[in-house]
Amino acid sequence: MSEIRITGGCQCGAVRYALHEQPDGAHICHCRMCQKAFGSFFAPFIGVEQSAFELTRGELSVFKSSDPTERGFCNRCGTPLTIHDRHSSRIGVSIGSLDEPEKFEPVSQCGIESRMSWFGQLAALPGDKTTEEDNPDFTAKIAASNHQHPDHDTAVWPPPGT
Amino acid sequence: MAEARITGGCQCGAMRYEARSLKDNSHVCHCRMCQKASGNFFAALVGVPLEDFAWTRGTPAAFRSSEHVERGFCRDCGTPLFFRHDRNQHISMTIGSFDNPAAIPLAFQLGMEGRLPQVDQLASLKDYGTTEDADPDGTAAIRKTTRQHPDHDTAVWPAEVDA
Repeated sequence: MSEIRITGGCQCGAVRYALHEQPDGAHICHCRMCQKAFGSFFAPFIGVEQSAFELTRGELSVFKSSDPTERGFCNRCGTPLTIHDRHSSRIGVSIGSLDEPEKFEPVSQCGIESRMSWFGQLAALPGDKTTEEDNPDFTAKIAASNHQHPDHDTAVWPPPGT
Repeated sequence: MAEARITGGCQCGAMRYEARSLKDNSHVCHCRMCQKASGNFFAALVGVPLEDFAWTRGTPAAFRSSEHVERGFCRDCGTPLFFRHDRNQHISMTIGSFDNPAAIPLAFQLGMEGRLPQVDQLASLKDYGTTEDADPDGTAAIRKTTRQHPDHDTAVWPAEVDA
């Protein structure tokens, strides 16, 4: 039997984690606390037992947004990474911080009191351009100086000499 | 005419900002860099002309995600706050960090190479209702002890604790 190892981390790569069981309960939360914590319209989370969550590089910084809730992030780049309720044996990770977010489809939504009225139209927004089509020069410059950690584990980060 | 004053900040309230105008470029960006920076399926951003923007509390931290781009956040709570290209005459703020994001409807989307298949399913996800309906006790505990800054400016923050 092969061991489950699902990896993720922050944008700069200072914090990396591995999940050692298949995560489940993927959902998006529209509540105002998740909105503000993520700077977005909702937060997407998927959970595992805490015993299956391993921090493989760096440390989580934690903001206790209320007594029951701890929100973990990287204090070097800001990526929102985890949520943990002190009464729960589980921990949630932000789906966008997973190295392969496309594999983790949300099954539910909550925090509906703060859902944007136009949320249902989001997928149909005008626009069909890739970053490159939108701005080829900018895209080339990003590619030449990209400081984002790659979407897989690395032995050493940042690369020596950078 | 009263001058528009549009405010926002991070979750913990250590960073607060104000905008006196917004560009008409509110959008979501699906590119993989915006995804990972925000831990989300996309980043939601709107531009503010530099001359119309000011930090009113705190100095944000920033990560230079590539040579000409800085991404700002609060080092105390992590909220992603801005995307800024060195040569742009505007700063792009995360829409969710504004105090009233509902007032900033989206105009378009881009970064389509990174668009996740999940985005098409979002609107039809099974709905567990409001936070209070789903978990009244948990919601009461959060409400009683929330450390989130309110969605308006405050003279003093954190609120002074009654002795």
